[in-house]
Amino acid sequence: MMLKTVTTFVITLSILSFSYSQSNKIYGSYESNAVYYQENEEEAYQNKLASNNYLNIKYLFNSNWNVEVQVESYLPKKLQSYSDSFENTHLSTLNINYSKNNFGFTIGSIYDQFGSGLILRTWEDRQLGINNSIWGLRSTYGNEKVNLKLLAGWQKKGSEISVGKVIGFDSEFTLINSSDIYQNLILGISYVGRFENLVNPIIAYDFNDLTSLFSTRLDYFSDQFYFEYEQVIKSKDGITQFGIISNEFVKKGSAHSLNLGFTKPGFGLDMTFRRLENMPLFSDRFEQGEIYNESNINYLPALTKQHDYQLANINVYESQANVSFPDPELMKSGEIGYQFDLYYDLKEGSSLGGRYGSKLSLNFSSWYNLKGEYTYYPSDYDTDFFGFGEKYFYEQSLEIRKKWSLKFDNIFLFINKYYNKRYVEEKIGEINSQIFILDNSIKLNNKKSVRFELQHLFTKDDKKNWYGYGLEYNFNYNFSGFYNTIVNYENLEENKPNYYSFGASYTKNALLFSVSYGKQRGGLLCYGGICRYVPEFKGFSFSVNTSF
Amino acid sequence: MLKKIIFSCLLYLFAYSSSSQKFIPNLELKTLNYESIKSVEAINQDGFTIISFWATWCIPCINELDAINDVISEWKKKKDITVLAISTDDSRSKKRVRPLINGKDWIFDIIFDTNQEFKRAMGIVGIPHTIITYKSEIIHRRIGYTPGEEEDLFKVISNYKK
Repeated sequence: MMLKTVTTFVITLSILSFSYSQSNKIYGSYESNAVYYQENEEEAYQNKLASNNYLNIKYLFNSNWNVEVQVESYLPKKLQSYSDSFENTHLSTLNINYSKNNFGFTIGSIYDQFGSGLILRTWEDRQLGINNSIWGLRSTYGNEKVNLKLLAGWQKKGSEISVGKVIGFDSEFTLINSSDIYQNLILGISYVGRFENLVNPIIAYDFNDLTSLFSTRLDYFSDQFYFEYEQVIKSKDGITQFGIISNEFVKKGSAHSLNLGFTKPGFGLDMTFRRLENMPLFSDRFEQGEIYNESNINYLPALTKQHDYQLANINVYESQANVSFPDPELMKSGEIGYQFDLYYDLKEGSSLGGRYGSKLSLNFSSWYNLKGEYTYYPSDYDTDFFGFGEKYFYEQSLEIRKKWSLKFDNIFLFINKYYNKRYVEEKIGEINSQIFILDNSIKLNNKKSVRFELQHLFTKDDKKNWYGYGLEYNFNYNFSGFYNTIVNYENLEENKPNYYSFGASYTKNALLFSVSYGKQRGGLLCYGGICRYVPEFKGFSFSVNTSF
Repeated sequence: MLKKIIFSCLLYLFAYSSSSQKFIPNLELKTLNYESIKSVEAINQDGFTIISFWATWCIPCINELDAINDVISEWKKKKDITVLAISTDDSRSKKRVRPLINGKDWIFDIIFDTNQEFKRAMGIVGIPHTIITYKSEIIHRRIGYTPGEEEDLFKVISNYKK
């Protein structure tokens, strides 16, 4: 461990010192998030300081060669609810890239995505604690008509790497690209294989060590209409149930994703249909169901609208791509559903738009279990292709952005939501809720502005009603102060929990510094359609990030 | 523990005092119609480019681009300015980009950075993050957006000594 720390230190210091003599060739970013925990349900974090720190540096040797290094420090310990594999100081990303003409080559940490990510996406999301880059080799070729990628390696898991190996191939061919009547038609064909030799002295598994996913996709774009379809076939693989893989429960998987849209100036309509059956893919099979999403090879986000407001982020849907049979009354093999989005511009001067115009957006989404025959013992299922089973979730939302004058505008958001906690979280209950949000911004003089928001969540279920409000005052373009709170005022069982935060932030060019104090609500933290459980805590938070 | 904290601070100080990024890395990106484009080719090589990293779910980002959209026609009468809105939406929310920009009648060039490789290559941690280039050189960058801040962007462009 000591050797690892020293090596990391020397590499980093060497690169940084070198930067002084290498103007314009070195750049990067630094982010540090620290919390001093006060009240905490976990003894190890009671009255303790923790921080996650990331230093990312890129060095350009010349127009063909570059290198990226990322060092992470979890000092004196990682922030609560991050994976235990994040520890001390370690090198988390190192890649050397070469590109010339149409060819590219990478050795080291690979961040990439095939198509929409249904079979492969390696990426970093620090809020969620995800960095599932592949440590290996990648070569690429691209011209106006063809794009090809080939990669192989092991997946990063915190400060370690996976047991399973990953190989992948992606290709895209432009079939039609005409500009007279604008049209663009692209065909994509991809493959991902996960090789993991499961050794069990008692059982000889009757599925292959290599699990294969084949994807084909077709994307069409014209001036006003677009269409994207992707289909995936996953070879049969053992399903992990209660931490066990057996020959009794071995199934294939599949995915279908269809997206259609029509747009013209002032109007946009988008429709999505997706069906996932037994689609998760992990670099290590036994990682299925792990809570930190560290070993996911593919990306299967919830296709619902992502919200920025606190009460809109209670009971957030998480996609249900796994096969899960926790009890005879609850058996899931995937999800099926759809989503619609509509955007409309109410023009300036029109009767509805008013003097400064208004922007309107609508979203509908609805997700279900796959309908079919399910048996608990022996575990098995047989699904209908187009069958809608138990409802997991639905949401309807309406957002109106209205500018009342040059100095005052607001956002009104209404959400009607159904959340099946029994099926989504495998707990108890169903929750119907309605959420109202009003977010107002007023520009004052001399770069000053104020923003205040009001929120209310109505529900007779679960923890009952919530209200919330927030105030943000911008003293100028650099310095802001804020206070916000949400109160579960009808939750008498837990003595009306009140979560609040107040603090200040300072920005100057590419530097952001913020400090706050408050009590954070525990629950699912969702970002980009992926969720992770975070516990409730109270304490001081400090954050700094900069690009240099 | 003290050593570790000092080490962390040192890393930051070294990083902050080292040289700044001057040029845009040349990555292959996708346009709204999924055509390939090199990041360097997307930039206005003769004048100013405002590069805004945004996402459909980011309210301050939308506020900033709405505000720029309201005044960009006036700005263009005074300066040679291109606005490049880099959508960092991943495949979950990417499908919302095209209807949103049409519904809002934005008149910007839109580029997809679906797996956030351009954002990563630019060393960007959070959004909104706005960069101004003159020809191919970065002359200004900032994090966040507060109401009215778009006026400050135009001030940077107007005051820039070529």
